[in-house]
Amino acid sequence: MSVGGVAFAVLMILIVVALYRGWSNVGSVYTRLPGDVWISQTGTSDPYHSTSFLVADRGNALSRIDGVQAVLPVYARHIAFRQHGNELDVFALALGAAPGIRFPSPDRAYFPPPGEVNIDRVLADQTGVRVGDRLRVLGHELVVWRIHTGGNSIFQTAYLNAADARAMFGLHGLVNFFLLSLRPGADLASVDKTAVAAVPRSEAHTSEEFAASFGNRINQGFLAAVGVLVGIGFIVGGAVIALTTYTATIERAREFGVLKAVGASGGFLYRVVVTQSLIVGCLGAALGVVASALAADLIRQQVPEFLTTLRWSDALAVFAVALVVAVFASWVPVRRINLIDPAIVFRP
Amino acid sequence: MKTDSPLLRVERLSKVFGSSRTLVRAVSEVDLTAHAGEVTLVMGPSGSGKTTLLSMIGGLLRPTSGRVLIEDLEITALRRRELTQVRRHLVGFVFQTFNLLEALSAVENVEIALNVAGITGSEARSRASRLLVEARLGERLHFNARDLSAGEKQRVAIARALANGPRLLLADEPTANLDSDSGHEVMELLRDLTREKGSGAVVVSHDERLREIADHLMWLEDGRIRAAERPQIGVL
Repeated sequence: MSVGGVAFAVLMILIVVALYRGWSNVGSVYTRLPGDVWISQTGTSDPYHSTSFLVADRGNALSRIDGVQAVLPVYARHIAFRQHGNELDVFALALGAAPGIRFPSPDRAYFPPPGEVNIDRVLADQTGVRVGDRLRVLGHELVVWRIHTGGNSIFQTAYLNAADARAMFGLHGLVNFFLLSLRPGADLASVDKTAVAAVPRSEAHTSEEFAASFGNRINQGFLAAVGVLVGIGFIVGGAVIALTTYTATIERAREFGVLKAVGASGGFLYRVVVTQSLIVGCLGAALGVVASALAADLIRQQVPEFLTTLRWSDALAVFAVALVVAVFASWVPVRRINLIDPAIVFRP
Repeated sequence: MKTDSPLLRVERLSKVFGSSRTLVRAVSEVDLTAHAGEVTLVMGPSGSGKTTLLSMIGGLLRPTSGRVLIEDLEITALRRRELTQVRRHLVGFVFQTFNLLEALSAVENVEIALNVAGITGSEARSRASRLLVEARLGERLHFNARDLSAGEKQRVAIARALANGPRLLLADEPTANLDSDSGHEVMELLRDLTREKGSGAVVVSHDERLREIADHLMWLEDGRIRAAERPQIGVL
């Protein structure tokens, strides 16, 4: 019972922390792409929140910059479409191929063949489509090529073929961004400077800068609210642990009375209570961590919109907090136990 | 085992609860002596003050007036910390409701009394096991307390009470929750162990069967000793 109470509290805290971590990492949609530096029109916050147009043939100049391994033209925009009577919205990205460059297998998922699309899990659930099904978007019929993990309750992503995207978006001679893949050891500052000079009215951003900017905009307000939830989670979870420990100790007042009757000193009782609290705290916290890992996995499977990332460092920290709270909470009843009249043992 | 000097002396012991109109005189001017190797039985109806008397003898309750001396140590004059030492080394308790720690095994229940006195590890385990064998529970050492019969629980409680070699065993209605056979076994065990170990025992009860093992009998009524005699001599 006590172990279950602590486990429940740890589960509650860790799920809220995992939610916070999941949403903090929402910008990883950019860092996962096979590139390091984005060239955009000046005044761009990130591809999701800003529109950017660049002249497509500037890509040749960019590919000649020292340290640049590949230049990928990027087409990106929101698309609204209807599916089974539902109005849906998706952030579509298309990466053009770089001549002579073959990306490793995971990255090839971002380059669907013509007429096909790679959509995220949340969009797949919303549209009710599976691999091989068809979506009608902007007058084009696209076959679902792959379904990737990702998406959330705020936005969904789809990766299109670059030629399809050009046709669908009506971009002729223009791209939205250039994504530069750098050689190992390339001088980032020098590449940025040269690239911006090569493309009129442009600026350079690393993928991490876009991720951070994107994350900040998505999470403004929302993440603060989740942060408050984390705080409340710690307070409520801590209170549950404290109350569980307190109740478990007080419930056994008679047993402590027996120990006093057989001559247990205050110090002996302190050691018994604290040791028991530590054991209950350890078992409960361990159970809570395991339950959180399972719950986070289940949430990812069943409700992918609910972004969760469970880090072992967080689990370890919550484990330690649970133990500290359990031990401190045991000090309160210990004082009361010390005052128990050992004559309690004569009461039937 | 009887010696001339009494093991226990209770002198004009009184306990009053409440005040003025709510005043209850639970024990009044009780005198009592007990010797090593003997069982003193205090009988009386419910509410006669038996348990209050026992609590004061064991240092669990402070008397309003009077003295309790165990081997000439006046325990009624001791401070709280010193009373803990008395309960640890000089007296052992046996309760009506056994008061075993249900989550622990029989041997652990006895062991914990030794742990309280600073005896731990294998020494505590072997001493606890030996005591349970003496209490005819050699086959039940590792049984969980909650899985023992009532009679077995009471025998574990007696072993626990004797764990630290107390001079005085105090038993409160030790057979009240037992059937006839178990009650008889517990009574015999109490008498045998008291004699074997040379300790004294004060048993409070209204169970007539306990007369069989008593060396002295006292009748308590309304907190006062009404009669005292050896049970073999006659009926109260």
